[in-house]
Amino acid sequence: MKNILLVCNQGMSTSFLVEKMKTVAKNENLAIHIWAVSDAELNDNWEQADIILLGPQVGYLKANTEKVVQHSKPVEVIDFVDYGRANGKAVLDKALKIIEAKG
Amino acid sequence: MTSLSKSSLTDRLAHIAQAMGGQIHLRTLRDAFASIMPFMILAGFMTLINSVFLDPVGFMGKFIKPETLTTWQSIGTSITNGTLNIMTLLVAVAISYHLCVNRGYKNVIAPILVSLSTMIVITPLTILFTPTGSTEKFLVPGVIPVSYTSASGMFVAIIVGLIATDLFIKFSANKKLQINIAGNIPPAVIKSFNVLIPIMLNILIFAVVSFALKQLLNLDFNALITMVITKPLSYVTTSLPGFLLITSIANLFFGFGIHQAVISGALLDPFLLQNMQDNMIAYTNHQEIPHIINMAFKDTFAVMGGSGNTISLLIAIFIFSKRTDYRDTSKMSLVPCLFNISEPIIFGLPIVFNPMLIIPFVLAPIFSLTVAYFATVAGFINHVVVQIPWTTPPVLSGFLATGGDWRAAALQILIIIATVFIYLPFLKIDEHVSQMQLSKQQNEE
Repeated sequence: MKNILLVCNQGMSTSFLVEKMKTVAKNENLAIHIWAVSDAELNDNWEQADIILLGPQVGYLKANTEKVVQHSKPVEVIDFVDYGRANGKAVLDKALKIIEAKG
Repeated sequence: MTSLSKSSLTDRLAHIAQAMGGQIHLRTLRDAFASIMPFMILAGFMTLINSVFLDPVGFMGKFIKPETLTTWQSIGTSITNGTLNIMTLLVAVAISYHLCVNRGYKNVIAPILVSLSTMIVITPLTILFTPTGSTEKFLVPGVIPVSYTSASGMFVAIIVGLIATDLFIKFSANKKLQINIAGNIPPAVIKSFNVLIPIMLNILIFAVVSFALKQLLNLDFNALITMVITKPLSYVTTSLPGFLLITSIANLFFGFGIHQAVISGALLDPFLLQNMQDNMIAYTNHQEIPHIINMAFKDTFAVMGGSGNTISLLIAIFIFSKRTDYRDTSKMSLVPCLFNISEPIIFGLPIVFNPMLIIPFVLAPIFSLTVAYFATVAGFINHVVVQIPWTTPPVLSGFLATGGDWRAAALQILIIIATVFIYLPFLKIDEHVSQMQLSKQQNEE
């Protein structure tokens, strides 16, 4: 079971992308837990995650987020066009590739 | 487009965002206000019910006995008392909690209690009361004055919450302030002693400062903060020019892919919220409405379909655009857009790093806010007096936020239509430029 955490300003816009990613994961029979939170909730959520994806609008939090997770796991900023067009497959594929490369 | 995403301006904005987004006190402010928002919205909702539906002289008064309506209003009044009227206490608690979390401090309950306790320590627990039929004022002891715990004390709560919590964390990390007990004492007992001294010191400091202010300057804490911080800053940030400037800077950041909340959440929202509260309280008490610019005013007139009033851009694309990718992205963005979520269109189209679309994205809110401001001044629409969720769809939002003024909803429609024509010329240029680039590429091939 892999865990992908998405972070944005209020966890609101990112939840659209999360739904798309979940559909892709389900169609491909992948057991992946995907969820979105606001950056204020990062502290309570990062430990369960294998990778943390930041919405491009909070990309400026990358350095700060890496500090919070003590560089224990990858922190990536989602490509802004993939994000805006809610390209669930592209985002999921990239995330899985990074997790595998690390694992 | 790509050149702009790699320009030095982009870097500079990212640096500012990083600094402000990482600054722990500013972050704490944003997080705390996010925690407070549901209470504001509940208060807004009850205000709306009491002032529109349960108004004894309103339209419901024709169907139900006015006395019955007045009795029912007490439900809303009690909720207003527990939300709006003690907002500063809620803010102090929320600030304290989020500062602890952001600092990674584990024993959160101690600083929270210290902040709450301090808020009361610095508040004079008396009011001057003039009984009806009398001209003489009486000093009534043993009350917590709502005037101190409601909107006017917002910055007191912010300052107390931040300082008390930071002091507490400093004190509790100081080895000299910890008690060393020899022998086989359970850790829990030692721990309880080790918060005792920081708590005592912390509250004592505020009590002494508050006492000194009173003795030396005949000022209480609240009056001092209002005079030195709230009044002057509020004058800058919530005057029309200041408000437009900060909003535009925030939207410019969004044009460069950085969420506008990093600017407005810290520089604008505290003032807008305070104005919002003032207005809600005045509206509830049937007094003159003090402010035009407030939290819901911004959301109602400048966040229609999301930041930059992007609902108008969507309409412009649906009617006039020839680019299929623009049309597809707009279709996909329509549902989020109805709830004022504009990230899909901002990043999907994209507006970000695209100068031809960034310009109208910044101009549109300046136009709409100015129009709405002067429409309010002229009395064409009622003041915005009710906090509504920012995700309330446009047109409905105007109606609700003004306490049920259909003219505000009509104004929103007019602004949306006019804004289509702000976006349109830039959209045309943008499509023309991309068309030229495309044909140039084809020629080269």
